[in-house]
Amino acid sequence: MATIEVQRQLLPILDSPNQGARFYNPELPSSEPFVPGHRTCAGCGPSIQYRMTSKAAGDNTILVGPTGCMYVANSSYLCTPYNVPWAHTQIGSAGSFTAGVAAAYEAMIRKGKWKGAFPNIICEAGDGSASDIGLASISGALYRNHDCLIICYDNEQYANTGIQASSRTPYGGMTTFSPPGPEVPEGKKLFPKDLARMMAAGHPHCYVATASVGYPIDLMNKVRKGLNHKGAAYLMVYTPCQKGFVYETPRSIDLGRLVVECGLYPMWEWNPEKRAFDYSFRPASMRPVSEYLKLQGRFGHLHAEHIATLQKFANEQWRMMGVALPEALIHATDAKNLVNMAAAAEAEAVAQTL
Amino acid sequence: MSTKGTRIPERLQIPFAGITPAPSQEKGQDLFPTGNWRSIRPVYRDKLPPCNNACGTNEKIQGYLDLVKRGKYLDAYALIKEDMPFPSVTGRVCYHPCEQACNRGKYDEAISIRAVERFLGDLGQALTHDVVKAGKSNGKKVAVVGSGPAGHSAAYQLARLGYTVTILEKSPKAGGLNRGGIPDWVLPQNVLDREIERLEQLGVTIKTNVEVGKDVTWDDLKKNYDACVLAVGLTEPNSVRAEGENKDGVLYGLPFLRDIGMGTSKVKLGARVAVIGGGNTAIDCAREALRQGAVEVTMITVEANPQEMPAVPEDLHDMREEGVDLMHGRAVTAVLGNGKVEALQLHPARFSGAINASPITVDRDAAAQRFAVDNVIIAVGQRASLKWLPDEFKTERGTIKIDRFGRLGDTNIFAAGDIVQLGSGQPLMVVNAVGDGKRVAFNLDKVMRGEALQPRTIAVDVIFDLNRMNMTYFPHFPRVQQELLPPASRKKTQDEVIQAFTEEAAVEEANRCFSCGTCNACDNCYLVCPEPCIARSERSNGMYKILVDYCKGCRVCIEECPTGCLEGVPELDFDTGVVRMDTAFAISPGLHGRQAEELRNLGDRAAKNI
Ligand SMILES: Cc1cc2nc3c(=O)[nH]c(=O)nc-3n(C[C@H](O)[C@H](O)[C@H](O)COP(=O)(O)OP(=O)(O)OC[C@H]3O[C@@H](n4cnc5c(N)ncnc54)[C@H](O)[C@@H]3O)c2cc1C
Ligand SMILES: Cc1ncc(C[n+]2csc(CCOP(=O)(O)OP(=O)(O)O)c2C)c(N)n1
Ligand code: SF4
Ligand code: SF4
Ligand code: SF4
Ligand code: SF4
Ligand SMILES: [Mg+2]
Repeated sequence: MATIEVQRQLLPILDSPNQGARFYNPELPSSEPFVPGHRTCAGCGPSIQYRMTSKAAGDNTILVGPTGCMYVANSSYLCTPYNVPWAHTQIGSAGSFTAGVAAAYEAMIRKGKWKGAFPNIICEAGDGSASDIGLASISGALYRNHDCLIICYDNEQYANTGIQASSRTPYGGMTTFSPPGPEVPEGKKLFPKDLARMMAAGHPHCYVATASVGYPIDLMNKVRKGLNHKGAAYLMVYTPCQKGFVYETPRSIDLGRLVVECGLYPMWEWNPEKRAFDYSFRPASMRPVSEYLKLQGRFGHLHAEHIATLQKFANEQWRMMGVALPEALIHATDAKNLVNMAAAAEAEAVAQTL
Repeated sequence: MSTKGTRIPERLQIPFAGITPAPSQEKGQDLFPTGNWRSIRPVYRDKLPPCNNACGTNEKIQGYLDLVKRGKYLDAYALIKEDMPFPSVTGRVCYHPCEQACNRGKYDEAISIRAVERFLGDLGQALTHDVVKAGKSNGKKVAVVGSGPAGHSAAYQLARLGYTVTILEKSPKAGGLNRGGIPDWVLPQNVLDREIERLEQLGVTIKTNVEVGKDVTWDDLKKNYDACVLAVGLTEPNSVRAEGENKDGVLYGLPFLRDIGMGTSKVKLGARVAVIGGGNTAIDCAREALRQGAVEVTMITVEANPQEMPAVPEDLHDMREEGVDLMHGRAVTAVLGNGKVEALQLHPARFSGAINASPITVDRDAAAQRFAVDNVIIAVGQRASLKWLPDEFKTERGTIKIDRFGRLGDTNIFAAGDIVQLGSGQPLMVVNAVGDGKRVAFNLDKVMRGEALQPRTIAVDVIFDLNRMNMTYFPHFPRVQQELLPPASRKKTQDEVIQAFTEEAAVEEANRCFSCGTCNACDNCYLVCPEPCIARSERSNGMYKILVDYCKGCRVCIEECPTGCLEGVPELDFDTGVVRMDTAFAISPGLHGRQAEELRNLGDRAAKNI
């Protein structure tokens, strides 16, 4: 049988026109696969992520939406904001459905029934789907190396059903399933599942990376790298949810920066060729975790010792990335140097930047 | 979504059941006009950057820096020429109030605006033809008296408006204090010559050696011209009223520099020179004295320390590098010597008031100090010489009396520059004279066309507060420095001390500009909107629009606009008892100007019209 050349899109990496002190975004693709008129909350982080991801991918794209906010809030009365083919799938079948779409295109190309470039096949799964309910099916798709990009838009909870704890919910995060009280004052006792690292370790032939809406160009480039990678790719993207995190809507992007600057969301890429992690991403500054926590109502109940615990966790992440810790961050691991969250005014006094 | 209480325009009243129109890139998913969730509407409203505001002629600094960033130097030069006839001159001599006001100064170091201006000015000088053209002639003749910055600027703008302009100048060469005040090592003569040539190319006639009051009378002026601008500056030096001030070897700063500038100087300085005064003219005199052969130059000031001196700190620094000594808290009470100055008698002194223009208190009870010198140069300010002007147009300060439009009574005669600004609280400097000349030219034009003169009433929103911008987008970055000739060699020559920026340096420095309050098409709002409901046909300021049918008012765009151009206005106005929710359905093209206009008028419109 004659082999058929699969035409790939190979999207160019966006470079930064920033020189020195200048801020300026690169020329962005003109197509808008994601259009307004959807019913996500104002300032929704996952929506911001959707906008950037789809813009990076372009028009020759197929989207898969397992159950979650990006399906439920976005598709009503048989109408969606997606300007490219999109399909809903059950929350548990994110990976298998996406694998099926990829396999179908591979087959159609083999049989000469699809002419043109191989489409970008992107699955947009929430953390509930990606980290808990659909974990097995996503692992399967990655393991079998279907040519697709699976994105976990990580809002650290089951948002669509009214804010329940997922395995990505951080230590101390209040949800309806992890309310703080006299017995468990910190709310959530468990630390989040190290999902992206687990995916990299378990499927080392895949391109795996973490990203945040706080760094749009980096996010768009990771999407493009994932799509350009021949085989399966996986992205975990920090996407704040104003409803669950309880913050002022304008801060959506700001939180995306702060979570990285506070060491709570390490940014890295897994290079499948070298079989190595790339930790070279450096935020503009390093801050104590309280800077991030104090902006969100879901952490409003934390005591000094809980904040110290989170700071130790963050410091571990910095060490893991090979970053030397400034004295102030070590200082902030001692509860004696911290104040309870409830004392908001005192919390304000925590050093702004290091 | 409930639409209760909301008026939905017909074209959006699609049946909810049965029809599910496909979304489109142009229209979005128009089944759900989510704009009615919004209580705050983002609007694009450019603010005035503090640099533009502080510049005496309101150069569009942010605008040309932005063009320089993009390598559009010619456009940048054309933009600067709107307000400034000679950027090559101000790029060298200006005391740069813009840089003092620059927001970046509060963050790390101010933008080196003057250096970029000089880069553009020199670029303009190198052009074979200037970008500016004279206006279509309107047949009206205007005389401009004085060819200094104010006169030059007025003549330039009037020529562009179509007037036939004649400049009358009493000196042998045109340029005013640019020629006969500011030394060559700050502003080389050929740079000024070229700018004057450019003015003549606009059709302006310059008559030198013509003095009003002597060669031309006040009545001639009124008879021979349709209108007139008096920009005669301050030509007479002040004295210190010390005993023996008329001795040989006593010089005055202004004529000392003027004669050198005009090429008519016969001065031979001795080795030891004292300069009296603590301002910029005194600094120029002290540095020029070194170049005229003095060996030891001492500056004697009433101010108690360098910080109090009314001088540009950089120039003071450069002067001290050249080896000029400072002596503070002293006043000259007598000039000693037998016919020729041999020494100065000094007494402790201070300003009696809070400002250094207030009267001086001299402590004559203290022991007098004798300070040996060969020459003394007195540089303690200038005054006007207006013997030819009818008294009704003079102020008690001896300057010209004008209304707030720069007009003398209800005549067709206007005045501008130092001659009206002295004592007005406005610092005397080239750029203020240029701005004054420009405004007066525009007012003169209005009067000639029979239009009413109107003072500026629109409140301008100057963006001083860094919290109105998003500073996370601006990494700290040091200011690009201009090179200077080494002090030891430069103090003996007339070579230009401060060196020009290279192209790379100009771009690098322009890149540091925050573009305060003014959209620079960075595309950030466009990229971060979660809907996304920010559209643009073209990537340029004024072309961004918010699809208000959809905008939910999350304000992410406002927060993330680095420049602070976006702002939020309340959508609900409870004062009038009207819920203005249906503005959510008015798809406006969103061009900044139009949108802002719409919002400005919102309050004036009767509730039923909204
Ligand atoms: C020594 C010195 C250095 C300075 N350095 C700087 C500097 O580095 N940067 C800066 O920003 N500012 C500087 N200034 C201030 C600045 O030069 C003045 O503010 C500015 O030149 C004022 O412009 P003008 O057009 O009002 O007056 P002028 O420049 O004084 O011009 C007035 C002109 O009118 C002519 N004139 C006067 N009377 C008559 C008449 N009757 N008939 C015909 N012509 C007449 C004069 O000859 C002169 O040419 C300096 C001032 C001095 C004295
Ligand atoms: C098997 C199954 N269990 C539970 C649900 C109910 N459910 C619908 S959306 C949702 C939340 C999904 O959370 P996540 O994947 O994190 O997406 P988010 O809502 O946070 O965007 C849940 C639990 C479901 N649809 N299917
Ligand atoms: S609940 Fe959270 S994730 Fe869901 S639409 Fe609202 S902001 Fe977005
Ligand atoms: S940063 Fe730029 S726009 Fe802002 S004040 Fe300075 S020069 Fe002007
Ligand atoms: S980001 Fe979009 S939805 Fe939010 S306020 Fe701005 S235009 Fe409206
Ligand atoms: S974010 Fe950028 S493009 Fe948008 S208004 Fe501000 S400066 Fe202009
Ligand atoms: Mg979730």
